[in-house]
Amino acid sequence: MTVPPALAAPEAAADAAPREPGPRRAARPTSGRRGRRFPGGRPLWLMLPTLLLLVLVIVVPFLLAVWIGFLDLDQYTLRQLFSAPFIGLKNYSEGFAAGQLLHSIWISAAFSVLTTAFCLPVGLLAALAVNSAFRGRGLVRSAFLIPYVIPSFVTAMVWRFLMRPDGAFNDFLAVFGITGGQWLIGEQAFWALVIVDTWAAWPFIYMMTTAGMQAIPDELYEAAALDGAGWVARIRHVVLPGIRHQLLLGLLLSTLAHFNNFTLPYVLLGSPAPDAALTLPVNIFQTSFQFFRFGLGSAMSVISLVLLMIPAIYYLRASKLTAAPGED
Amino acid sequence: MAAPAAPTAPRAGRRPGVVRNPQQLLPTWLQRTVIVVLLLSMAPVAYMALISVSPDVEVGAGQLWPSRLVLSNYVAVWSSIDLATGLVNSLVASLAAGVIATVFGLGAAYCLARLDFRGRGPFLNALVGFQIIPGTMIILPLFVVFSSVGAAIGVPLIGQRPTLIVTYLTFAIPFATWLLVTNLRQIPTSFEEAAMIDGLNRFGVLRKIIFPLMLPGMLVTVVFSMLVGWNDVLFANVLTNPQTHTVAIQLQAFGSATETGALPLYGQLMAASLISSAPVVLLYMIFQRQLVGGLAAGGEKG
Repeated sequence: MTVPPALAAPEAAADAAPREPGPRRAARPTSGRRGRRFPGGRPLWLMLPTLLLLVLVIVVPFLLAVWIGFLDLDQYTLRQLFSAPFIGLKNYSEGFAAGQLLHSIWISAAFSVLTTAFCLPVGLLAALAVNSAFRGRGLVRSAFLIPYVIPSFVTAMVWRFLMRPDGAFNDFLAVFGITGGQWLIGEQAFWALVIVDTWAAWPFIYMMTTAGMQAIPDELYEAAALDGAGWVARIRHVVLPGIRHQLLLGLLLSTLAHFNNFTLPYVLLGSPAPDAALTLPVNIFQTSFQFFRFGLGSAMSVISLVLLMIPAIYYLRASKLTAAPGED
Repeated sequence: MAAPAAPTAPRAGRRPGVVRNPQQLLPTWLQRTVIVVLLLSMAPVAYMALISVSPDVEVGAGQLWPSRLVLSNYVAVWSSIDLATGLVNSLVASLAAGVIATVFGLGAAYCLARLDFRGRGPFLNALVGFQIIPGTMIILPLFVVFSSVGAAIGVPLIGQRPTLIVTYLTFAIPFATWLLVTNLRQIPTSFEEAAMIDGLNRFGVLRKIIFPLMLPGMLVTVVFSMLVGWNDVLFANVLTNPQTHTVAIQLQAFGSATETGALPLYGQLMAASLISSAPVVLLYMIFQRQLVGGLAAGGEKG
């Protein structure tokens, strides 16, 4: 959608016709395109420093990463960025042939989807539980944020300590008659990741839900209560429709964040990571900075990005970020 | 629950027309259960605090509850690892990146929030898209460039603080610009209009109207961008040396070293964990309203 003159009042902005100046637009005092009548004009040059920096620190490295993916770049050829042998798609074929890449993609996808799926009911219930006022609600709300705001490296460190074979987590499980066993190595490491990340990330869904619920007018709750709607009906017909949009964003963002999470698996499980929990970011890191196969690592990260684009495009569509200025 | 009240004898507390707390969405038993269970799930945080004041010998021996509380871990940890240097390194790198990103981002955010120009939509999309690029994909070419350039000019760039700051800008700039755009959108345009009608030019508006109004938003942006840097492990892992290690890297190195030691210093490890997360948790608690508000602003436009 094209954007109305910068100075248009918000309500006028919302109706502004896209592109061609319609009669409504022409009738406004700022009919000169984009507020030209004001001294100073449009200071678009203000964007230049940011644009330059973005190109320098993101666009150029990004293009380089794609380029390196076609090179046989390792620790011996590291300093010959422009003379390292060009091997075309060999890094890609090697990545897929070795099987490690597909394995990591599977692990990361399963990890991010499962963790998001587990965070959803927890975060939702938490938001529902603190919707009505009660004594101490402020404290509870702050406490709910704690797992999320603690730095991931600390979360990982603490859980690494708790999940030792003779650690407190297994003692806790023993209360329920469950034998925990080894969490940080072997097959169970994957579940250790899911458990810890769910523990750390549910408050994000909680926050997104809370943010969405703030927009639901009180009258709706009152009307539903007056109609005698039970709590399940109220959640289904009042709350869920009201937060649908926000919740969808939360789920997409959370899937992306889990997929890209490097810190938690790296610090929780150490390096080299157990095969059952070798997520894509850790695999790329190990390939690049422990085996010094920069070309292969780059190719893998390109594939990782392509995979992330799928939920990311949905996210961009859903969030309508490009809404015109003043439209909100 | 939904039983219609008999016309003659309405049930106590459910007089027709009066709704008792319509905001309460869960039955009380479920509401209480959820809150209690979730608060109990914070036990690892409490346990971290408990271990940090337990004697290492007892923790090492597998004792769950300490027989006495000691503060010695909080004293010893400063010399076991160079925690002070790590904290300073983390603070300098993440704060510098946060401030640079916010200052640079402000101009772009103003244009994106207030002006119409060709390419505005793609620019906004790119800001979000950049944040999705995996860190591993950015660090790799940067590492290659920094080590090549460093070798070419004879100054090792890997391990230097400015190198880390430049790397942090890769996530800080899109993040900060985006936060500033959402912040600016919440400021009504009427002040600017009035000032312009009074003859102030765009730059004057920016300096005298927008800048003061945006100061709180800028502070929040600096803080949130800084916290992302504070939490980074990937970039600092590749780009720092023992002198420039951030606290995250120190902690991780100390963790792996102490686990294999004869007497693991878990008490000190937990003390260091608490020390390095305290500033972050404190800042988030101070700015929690903005944290949730910012998330709301990101999606309200649907």
